[in-house]
Amino acid sequence: MLNTFQQGPHPMLPRATHDEASRQEFTKSFKGFIQSSLLPGLTPVYNARVSKLFEREHDRAPVDRRDIRSGMVRDLYFQHYASANRIAQELLWEATNLSVDRELPDLIAKAKAFSSATPAELNIPDEFDVPRYVTALDIHCMPGGYTTEVTRDDVSTGILYDRGVYLYAMGYMGPLNDDMGRSVCNYIKRNLKGFSPRRILDMGCTVGHATLPYKELFPDAEVWGIDVAAPQVRYAHARAAGLGLEVNFAQMNAEETRFPDEHFDLIVSHILLHETSGKAMPRVFKESNRLLAPGGYMIHADLPPFDLMDPFTQFILDNETWYNNEPFWGAMRDMDQVELAERAGFVRADVKFDTAPMAVMEFAAQAAGGYSEEAATAVAEREFTAGEYAPGGGWGVLIAKKPAAAQALAA
Amino acid sequence: MSRPHVVKDAKGKRPQFYDAPGLDQAMSMIMVLANEVSVLHDRLDAAERVAKAGGLDLASGIETLTLDQDALETREAWRQDFLERLFYLARKDASEAARSESEAGYRETIAEIAQF
Repeated sequence: MLNTFQQGPHPMLPRATHDEASRQEFTKSFKGFIQSSLLPGLTPVYNARVSKLFEREHDRAPVDRRDIRSGMVRDLYFQHYASANRIAQELLWEATNLSVDRELPDLIAKAKAFSSATPAELNIPDEFDVPRYVTALDIHCMPGGYTTEVTRDDVSTGILYDRGVYLYAMGYMGPLNDDMGRSVCNYIKRNLKGFSPRRILDMGCTVGHATLPYKELFPDAEVWGIDVAAPQVRYAHARAAGLGLEVNFAQMNAEETRFPDEHFDLIVSHILLHETSGKAMPRVFKESNRLLAPGGYMIHADLPPFDLMDPFTQFILDNETWYNNEPFWGAMRDMDQVELAERAGFVRADVKFDTAPMAVMEFAAQAAGGYSEEAATAVAEREFTAGEYAPGGGWGVLIAKKPAAAQALAA
Repeated sequence: MSRPHVVKDAKGKRPQFYDAPGLDQAMSMIMVLANEVSVLHDRLDAAERVAKAGGLDLASGIETLTLDQDALETREAWRQDFLERLFYLARKDASEAARSESEAGYRETIAEIAQF
């Protein structure tokens, strides 16, 4: 099945020239090729060459992802695979940045116009401490990272992220990159029947990809997206307005927000936790507990823990830690998230891992570019394969309910 | 007034995948070139589609084009010129061999010129 998914247009995206668009499309094709044609070769290479050599050299079989990695990095096939992955990632940002740079002054002016025309709030304080786990490396090799501002009112890294992530996900996240938010919304509607949140908080929202579906599916709710990066929330605010949605955004740290106690009925995050740190992640859970009203839900959609998969799968996934500037990617998967939730004040019986089925089939119904019924089905019915983007079928979610007031008193 | 520009390089030491020095850079250059070849391919495809929308079936015309002597010569000359540029280091290597040029000789020249 050929992947011809195309990003949905909205007014805050740069208008790529023919050649810029083609250059960007190539990076998406390259990633798809690596995944479909180079990735599968790692298994026979490991079984036939690398594990045997390891046994000869160590007088024992490799037992964990560290053993596997120590052998694989010396194999030329793996070197080509890992190098190609890295180059695809670099080309993706480089190709996208050409359009962003060419239109930057116009895009900044456009963002200001959209932001000033919406009643939704944009809250960026004069002083803000961005945590080191976000600034130490430019995460997933995105030039400038999330937070760099090259000028006043800058939105450049927001635009870069919006377009770049679409290419990174090869369109599997839908025309508006919103599959994770949409999937969690669907999960809530189907599994938490009757739950109708009045205030919703999306932590680590970047440009609001996953945030906007909450406003769409719960139109009466007050929706907030927060992120530590000013250019991301500034862009998110303009992007939401450009798409006709009133969603509030603020520069805040999910470890310690500026909202009062019990302010939200629903707190969500999407691929946030693995970009925090060993000390920050428990604090995010604690802050979620503080901010939730009794009976409210915390739902974090992120990577499943390592203990749920075999060592070879762990090794493949851990490549992101070593080759894609994702310092907490591996360590996060070794954390006991259920225990963290319990320590943050949730009751163990009310905490669980579950799967939120991908909403990709809905994109076919929207008749977006490349999202045919057949193509969407192909994505939705895939088996999970380590190293491929997006899981087969659904996203892993950690879900925890804060006890209702009466229960809390009884406890 | 100078306008702002985006950041070009990501912070964080880039890993080296290959043992051979320089191969990582060479591989990335090859992929950049492959990208541009792909862009050219798309651009020609676009030209054919735009022409067709305007009533000119460029794609069929290209398939049925008979190359005359002038075209054959022009293309062959272009290809030979291209290959020569592609292999300029091989040409240079042969030329150095013919002149008996060496790194030691280069150093000697530097020392000699300094004294001259």
